[in-house]
Amino acid sequence: MIGLISNEMMKIVNRKLTWIILFLLIAITAGSFVMNKLTEEPVSDWRAEQSELIERYQGQLEIDELSPQMHADTENKLQIANYRLENDIAPVSENPWSALLRFSGLIEMVIIFAIVIAADVVSREYTSGTIKLLLIRPHSRSKILFSKYISVAVFALCMLAIVFVTGYGVSAMFYGFGNLDTTDLFLNAGGEVTEMNVFLQTVKMYGLSFLPILSYVTLSFAISTILRNSALAVGISLFIMIVGNSIIEATSRISWLKYLPFANSDISLYIFHLPARPEMTLGFSLTVLAVYIAVFAGLSWMVFKKRDTA
Amino acid sequence: MKQQPIVQFKHTTKIIGRKTIVNDLNFDVLAGEVFGFLGPNGAGKTTTIRMMVGLIKISRGDILINGHSIASQFEQAIRHVGGIVENPDLYKYLTGYQNLKHYARMVPGISKKRINEIVEQVGLKERIHDKVSSYSLGMRQRLGIAQALLHRPALLILDEPTNGLDPAGIRELRNNLKELAHQEGVAVFVSSHLLSEMQLMCDKIAVLQKGKLVSIENVQAFISKDSISRVYLEVEASQTELTKMLIADLNKTAIAGSGPNELWIQMNKDEVPELNKLLLENGVRVLSIHVQERTLEDKFLEMMEEEQ
Repeated sequence: MIGLISNEMMKIVNRKLTWIILFLLIAITAGSFVMNKLTEEPVSDWRAEQSELIERYQGQLEIDELSPQMHADTENKLQIANYRLENDIAPVSENPWSALLRFSGLIEMVIIFAIVIAADVVSREYTSGTIKLLLIRPHSRSKILFSKYISVAVFALCMLAIVFVTGYGVSAMFYGFGNLDTTDLFLNAGGEVTEMNVFLQTVKMYGLSFLPILSYVTLSFAISTILRNSALAVGISLFIMIVGNSIIEATSRISWLKYLPFANSDISLYIFHLPARPEMTLGFSLTVLAVYIAVFAGLSWMVFKKRDTA
Repeated sequence: MKQQPIVQFKHTTKIIGRKTIVNDLNFDVLAGEVFGFLGPNGAGKTTTIRMMVGLIKISRGDILINGHSIASQFEQAIRHVGGIVENPDLYKYLTGYQNLKHYARMVPGISKKRINEIVEQVGLKERIHDKVSSYSLGMRQRLGIAQALLHRPALLILDEPTNGLDPAGIRELRNNLKELAHQEGVAVFVSSHLLSEMQLMCDKIAVLQKGKLVSIENVQAFISKDSISRVYLEVEASQTELTKMLIADLNKTAIAGSGPNELWIQMNKDEVPELNKLLLENGVRVLSIHVQERTLEDKFLEMMEEEQ
């Protein structure tokens, strides 16, 4: 099995596409943090700034067309700003952990790149004809498919780690290495303002995001295994991901949508207390994702095992 | 060397939809023989090979390799098999060496030394660390053969192995395959359209047509069986008509050749002395007479015509 996985890793690592993706991943991550630093304005009086923010938030809440998601987000921020002034708690000074938390969007980039890699790993063997020589070895098809799946999953995990490390590294140059004990104000699952450890929140967000990444990887992997076409696998997976983002909004109105993977695939919603529906919890989302992963993986396994290789 | 069966076809049948692609094959491939698998396009050769290596399922019957069923004991059966199915499709973005390392990792007990040995054997030493995308078809064919032999299989399956090889390469391959079979006892299963090549390479020939086995024989017996040869005859131009009449007396027909004094006659080889005697007794001045040996190609085409 280890031999099979190192084979698959060798095939991923020796492709030009992989290196282009890794380069983009690092460049975009570093770029976002640098841009953020350049546009930053120094704050002289945090109380005045918070009062200004409160006014702005209140103004925003009066706009009717605000999407439910935006509405909830603004309310949350307003609540925290009020809490700061009432209890005289200054916003935490800039540090790498808080910066990483703000850039949760980078996780979507990891998803996109992971979809591209996953779409190729099985269908490429078919289009290049190498599947024949791969399958006439003393290993069951299940083992060969599994080794491919594991390799893509490991690669996706590496990409997530690269984003985290690059982001941390760039921010550390601007704000210092940061203190593991730093705390900040967050809303807990019950919607109350609570002081939480920023580092742990960061680790929680990036760590748990592996599950949504894996669910898209599995989807793309399954489509590519079943249809033997990587372009379709990338296309369909990206389409679902993009449509999925708008479905998060719809979920607040239509209850059964919460069982679809979309509204469950953004872990940052739970870090910032923005569940699509009040009854949805982090545990619920992770369970839904795990079920989808099992279903997609099972489907591709069944098809791959039985199919005549022509 | 005792010739034990390496491959045993047992009522092997493949049905796709309502079409029977391969119909009830029953034959053995023995250790130490080069086994040629012939048939026109669409006869089911590739389907048969794909069933042998488990790429497609067998609809009915089974194929045993070293006594293990390819259907129910895939891993034990395939362990003894090396091969190329259709084209030598390898990973083009990897080097030749990485390709071999890839396949070596999939079978336990293949050392670095063995990889180097096989590289040397197929003559790719100079280019083995180059990307396969830079290889010629002939070099890919060699690399394909290297991956097939890496784990010292008991059965070597080669689909059109001479594709892309130059004449020297073909000859080398032929000698290598013969050596593998005759010296090391490997069963070599070769399919090819190059009939003249098969004649030189194979010990035994099986002919497949429309999914059915129509003949299986030793290559020499196959060619000469109930064979009618073509006899070339050259006489004095003025005596051509007389010769035709004499041949007609033998109940044979003579066909005019390209020159005015050339004739072609269809007859058995052992009748030639009789013809010669008859011509001499009647004062025909024979300038030249010779039997054109039949080739595998003649026999094969003849057989295909008969079956039509």
